[in-house]
Amino acid sequence: MSIPLLICDDSAMARKQVKRSLPEDWDVAVTMATNGVEGMEAIRAGQGEMVFLDLTMPELDGYGVLQAIKEEGHKCIVIVISADIQPEARERVMALGALDFIKKPVDGKKLQDVLRKYGLI
Amino acid sequence: MNDSLALTEDQRDCLQEVVNVAMGQAGDSLARFLEVFIHLSVPRIRLVERDELNAELEKMVGGAVVPVSGVSQGFYQLDTGSGIRGEAIVVFTDSSFKELADLLAYDDELTTESEKELLLDVTNILNGACLNGVGEQIEAELGFSPPSIMGQHVPISLLLEHQQATWDHALLVEITYTLEDRSFSCTMFLLMPGESIEVVKQALDRLLEDL
Repeated sequence: MSIPLLICDDSAMARKQVKRSLPEDWDVAVTMATNGVEGMEAIRAGQGEMVFLDLTMPELDGYGVLQAIKEEGHKCIVIVISADIQPEARERVMALGALDFIKKPVDGKKLQDVLRKYGLI
Repeated sequence: MNDSLALTEDQRDCLQEVVNVAMGQAGDSLARFLEVFIHLSVPRIRLVERDELNAELEKMVGGAVVPVSGVSQGFYQLDTGSGIRGEAIVVFTDSSFKELADLLAYDDELTTESEKELLLDVTNILNGACLNGVGEQIEAELGFSPPSIMGQHVPISLLLEHQQATWDHALLVEITYTLEDRSFSCTMFLLMPGESIEVVKQALDRLLEDL
């Protein structure tokens, strides 16, 4: 069965970059969300077992999403993909339960290296 | 509004993401300089007419009478004669100076001179990282003119008074850097006038084609 995968980013270009970076033969069902509020709705609807999450977003940012996932007890694997390259941003999201952090702009190699590192592909 | 200058939704989205990545690099440089965590917000992009600029900037800094200090620095594309050019304006609210001085462990009372120094230091860090970040992504090598202080502790409309704007429309990009638990906020405006917009749009289309 396909893995429900959520790409949550306010930029259409960034969402496309992530989608294009996924391994071609990876059996996933992709849902897109344009802010954290939409992202949480998709997660509650079971569309985000795997989540690629941006940090700087309107409505609810990525930190807020990680917090909400924790509070509501969803079992998602979250990989943050952000332009906020401050070491503290990485520390914060890891403390909030993210699996890893990928720096923008994302490309196939970076993303697939991370997926491989955790045995996800 | 001049329709041919207006960005399509795809171009606006693309520019916003390009600026977002550059802002992340600039935020990281500033965070390292001040040894704090910088809060980043979503950059805002608009096409403005000359008459609207003051009102837009007043809105961004929180009002017409809010005293601010600002530095302006021109940038231009090095490899072509008719490429991208514009102005980067960094604006600080008054309360930011005390916070900056505190973070950088300035012992003495701040003077107009030491404030100028702070303004220029932060401007150099932000402009360098941010504009090079934008340039790299759109494959344009940018040069800079020396930064100049536009004014200190004045309403933003006075800051811009010296500027002889020769454009009718400009692309306005707003990037705000704030600190948590401190009343520091500085906003960077990128202002790219008329003929530059066309060049920016072409560069964005090239990025979009690669998607």
